[in-house]
Amino acid sequence: MTAAVELSGVSYRYPGTAAGVQNIELTIAAGELVVCIGPSGCGKTTLLRLIAGFLRPDAGRVLLNGNDVTHADVRKRECGVVFQSYTLFPQMRAWENVAYPLRVRNVELGQRRKRALQMLGVVGLADLSERLPSSLSGGQQQRVALARALIFEPRALLLDEPLSALDAATRLSMREEIRRVQKAQDIAALLITHDQDEALSLADRIFVLREGRLVQNGTPHAIYDRPADSFVAQFVGQANLLDGVTTGPDSVETPIGRIAMRPHGYERGAAIRLLVRPERVEPLWATTAASDVDTNIFLVRVLRDAFFGATRQVELAIGDGILKLQTPMRGAIERVRIPPEAVQLLPTS
Amino acid sequence: MLPRWVTSAYLAYLAAPIALLLVGSFGELWLNTLLPSGITGKWYVEVAADGSFRRAFISSLIVASVTCGACLALGLPLAYALLRSSNPRIRALARVLYQLPVALPALVLAFGFILVFSSDTLPWLGSIWLLVAGHIVLTLPYFLQAVTADMQRLNLLTLEAAAESLGATTPQRFFHIIVPALKHSIMSGLIVVAALSIGEFQFSNLVAGFLNRTYPVVLLQAFYGATGFACAATVILLLLALTASAAGTLSAHGTARLALPPP
Repeated sequence: MTAAVELSGVSYRYPGTAAGVQNIELTIAAGELVVCIGPSGCGKTTLLRLIAGFLRPDAGRVLLNGNDVTHADVRKRECGVVFQSYTLFPQMRAWENVAYPLRVRNVELGQRRKRALQMLGVVGLADLSERLPSSLSGGQQQRVALARALIFEPRALLLDEPLSALDAATRLSMREEIRRVQKAQDIAALLITHDQDEALSLADRIFVLREGRLVQNGTPHAIYDRPADSFVAQFVGQANLLDGVTTGPDSVETPIGRIAMRPHGYERGAAIRLLVRPERVEPLWATTAASDVDTNIFLVRVLRDAFFGATRQVELAIGDGILKLQTPMRGAIERVRIPPEAVQLLPTS
Repeated sequence: MLPRWVTSAYLAYLAAPIALLLVGSFGELWLNTLLPSGITGKWYVEVAADGSFRRAFISSLIVASVTCGACLALGLPLAYALLRSSNPRIRALARVLYQLPVALPALVLAFGFILVFSSDTLPWLGSIWLLVAGHIVLTLPYFLQAVTADMQRLNLLTLEAAAESLGATTPQRFFHIIVPALKHSIMSGLIVVAALSIGEFQFSNLVAGFLNRTYPVVLLQAFYGATGFACAATVILLLLALTASAAGTLSAHGTARLALPPP
């Protein structure tokens, strides 16, 4: 089956700058939601603009449903784009905005009104169809924009940070809404964001970009549990990175002390980097008997203890190093345990 | 903060000439006294009956409306092209164009027109179209300023990009998105153009032919005659300018009402 969206070897550089994207390979299947994530300036919006046709690549090819559209006009690409700034046409009512793609395709008025109202129903705004954009909330405006981008049955849905202008509560419900509508329409979608929670909770697949290059491409689980390098580990989720030296087949010497684990594939004396997610570090209480636990127990001094309601993030000094810990438990932490299975090897760089 | 009496004094200072004009236009006789004696409407009748004033009134209306139309037809596509252009040279050129009325006094423009259009190859001096052409040069920058400022404020480039991705062609985007979004600034730009054109004296006085002199040019003659006549003629010019801005305000009000949510 041909992919709905396919980029092969796509490069683009903004004239006179070093910014852009390099040699991007990406495919999105029909019905799949790919989230492209990266820090600002990493080229993720450039990627979207290259697919939508606002930019033409310097090299490589862009294919939609197997058709080469590398040199095709924005209009001919028929991608539904949702922008961060809503971009509803201010003088048109909600239904007129949604019906606009049909209007420019010369669909007859009665027909396009009917289909627009239907589409507004899909995004849950059927009773606000007569409103002008200025009297809709941010979340409602973005729903109208979503309906407008889907009504002409586009080849792909492209969402450029669609939630970043919304307040926190609306953002959560819109996240669900986007996923629901995208699955209902069974359309290939690319969503650009810099928000890791958004990426992890929405995506079928995450595409991590850094300085214009693909760093890792995988499911949310794969990205979080097996990050390709320390950049991905730190960008998606919280991370403790420990640089150490192997001291044997089952131990590594690190700034916080000796950690028992198996450094597969590394010889004795090799420099390696370890990743421990803060929520995998186990706090031990004064009441925990020493015999209940065995290895990787460290005596700690609490540097910072921040309370977030559901969780508590604690920064601990251990030996010469610092370890972050995340726990729902309250109480004074004296020692922690790092389970060997929570320690991952990352390539040093 | 300014004391209130300063504001009042300033307003009085602004209103005084207009008030005096009104008083003078209805006064029967006004010679070396603070206020005229007697009340009459005869000066308005006289101005209305005067052939040269009637012709000038019509000339002014024609020149102002053609100038407005030309500013709309030339200025809107030009502003649109400037918005879409990322070329720094074109942007620099646009800035020069905006500054033109400051750098180029109407008097200089008029002398230029006289030099060029009194030649045998281009013997058009005195035609009303030459007058219109000059008014366009003098007013277009004000129209462009009004419209481009609004274009930037409304983030029109993103709206355009959205419309393009939805399948709209360039003419469709221009007429469906750009023009409706800009209707307020287009209207206010046209009011400025109409007011400037109606009141323009320097250029018109030198370039207009005898048969198509505009109202301000003829008005100057009135001050050699009776005071009441001159006052009445000036009040008519004032009314003409006020009508233009009132029409603009009313239409802006009408479109603003549309923007309210339905009950």
